[in-house]
Amino acid sequence: MTTTTPATGAESSAAHRPATDAMWTSKLRHRIFDELPPETLLPDEQPAYVASWIYVFGVLTIAALGVIIASGLWLAFEGPQWWHGSSVGHYVNSLHFWSVQIFFFAMVIHLWGKFWMAAWRGKRAMTWITGAVAFFTSIGTAFTGYLVQTNFDSQWIGAEAKDGINSVGIGAWFNVLNVGQALLIHVALLPLVLGGLVVWHVLLVRRRGVVPPIDQLTDGSDLVSGEVTVPAPRGAAAGARERPDPATLPWRGPKRRYDIVKEFAVALLAVSVLTVALAALLSSPDEKAITLQKWAAAAPADFVATASSELDGSSGTATYGAPYVNIPDAGQSIGPLHLQRWAGVRHPIDAAKSFVLDPLRTTAATNPGVQTALAQWDGADAAQQQKWAAAYTDALGKAPDGDPAKVGSGDFGPVPALTAGLLAQARSGALDGPVGLGSSFFQTDYTRSVLFLADGTYLEDRAVAQHLGGDQSGMMNETGAYPGQEWLWLYTFWYQIKPFSDESNSWGANADAIIFGIMALLSLGLMLLPYIPGLRSIPRWIPVHRLIWKQWYADHPRS
Amino acid sequence: MPSLPPVAIDLNGPGHYVHLVGPIQISLANLIVIILMLVVFVIAVLVPFPRDKG
Repeated sequence: MTTTTPATGAESSAAHRPATDAMWTSKLRHRIFDELPPETLLPDEQPAYVASWIYVFGVLTIAALGVIIASGLWLAFEGPQWWHGSSVGHYVNSLHFWSVQIFFFAMVIHLWGKFWMAAWRGKRAMTWITGAVAFFTSIGTAFTGYLVQTNFDSQWIGAEAKDGINSVGIGAWFNVLNVGQALLIHVALLPLVLGGLVVWHVLLVRRRGVVPPIDQLTDGSDLVSGEVTVPAPRGAAAGARERPDPATLPWRGPKRRYDIVKEFAVALLAVSVLTVALAALLSSPDEKAITLQKWAAAAPADFVATASSELDGSSGTATYGAPYVNIPDAGQSIGPLHLQRWAGVRHPIDAAKSFVLDPLRTTAATNPGVQTALAQWDGADAAQQQKWAAAYTDALGKAPDGDPAKVGSGDFGPVPALTAGLLAQARSGALDGPVGLGSSFFQTDYTRSVLFLADGTYLEDRAVAQHLGGDQSGMMNETGAYPGQEWLWLYTFWYQIKPFSDESNSWGANADAIIFGIMALLSLGLMLLPYIPGLRSIPRWIPVHRLIWKQWYADHPRS
Repeated sequence: MPSLPPVAIDLNGPGHYVHLVGPIQISLANLIVIILMLVVFVIAVLVPFPRDKG
């Protein structure tokens, strides 16, 4: 007779190990703990050279991101219009506004610091790249935030930005005048991407460690130990001794205490207090959006001239090209690259129909004059319609102050009656709905309303008066005396200098596309800086790092 | 719309703008923020960090 003895827990575990080690879950767990053991993930010590105030700006950036997310969640929960009509909502918006300013403030200083440390050394290029991509994603997230303010600033930024986005074809998919699309990108898509990038970036920092001081360890210092070597350079003589790259080696030198949780808590408290104080002291800008009703009341001559130009097909929208209108030769290009045309007409707009004729039909039943004018217009062929409207647009341009009442005689057909009817409809407030909503009940896309407004001069005049024009660093500025998107300084800079500021040459005529291309190349350069000879050596040539690590260099002079 | 809470410093008035070189201009508010960034960076680099008491 044989008996069996139950296996102990340890024996059982050992017996099962080969089987469990092959499991995906086990492999993933081992991989995670091998790469990021708890003491690496949440360290209580750092190399002694991590002793400069410049190091606090990374955690300050993350703390500011926390305040942005908290205030943004509050705004999202209450809805995009809440802050316009509630003093509490306006204050929460101010918290969001100033935390974004602090976020970029801290992030830019963090980036400067890491540049002068050449922080990509020692297999840390991906840390630099994820940081750079997080910076660009933050710019995109902030930009979409400015688009969804639903006030004058967002109207104007949308009207300006559409040209840049459309000029390289992106506007076919990302319509900056579609508030619903921009809002979802701002509150859902980009925060997810940014959050993932920040986590990736921080995990890389924890895994690789903080980059050691430049040159200090390349002279055979015994502060570094380990057997890690890097391959001899390509082309080196056979048998050449492989030389370790000290920046890749695990740190074995002196360390200092480092309480990462306490550091984050203090940073979060500091950023929160600063944000609350700035929001209370300075509030945030909110200039009301311009409605079609307001435009018609404030600038009737401009309104009528714009309506007439929509009918004769000479307005900005009617001649825009992709993605609104099918005009083969229209649109910007970068040399032979006609990116604007590649995606074709993705948001088709018939300016005369959408901005003038269809809205007029909604009130024609109660306005016999408009009804008659529409019947005359519909009864004419396209050539006659264009002839009437062009003659009226020309006559308006010659009339004193563009005043429709002072227009000379001419063969204008029903155009004066149509534009006068549209003006009356706009003044009554009955045009904002038909132009903006079309035949929909629900609506989040304000493409048609903003395009119609932007075809006139009233919107631009208001913007230029506040230094928001394209050649005034407009995209970077904010209404009132508030700081704006300073991080766009280089982008807006190009628009202010020749040849881009002069539309009479091809550089100026294609400025949006060319500047977009320049910025894309420069952004790629910043991202790939660790791999660009010369540029990556600047921190060695200009020794700002001697100041950053001055304590370390003083305590550990080179032998 | 309910009245907004009073603020200590009203930035809703007209902005101020600084002409740099040639046609290049920048708002005073943006310029102040950028200068502050540079000043804080210099301070962060120059001011000694407390030594580890341990």
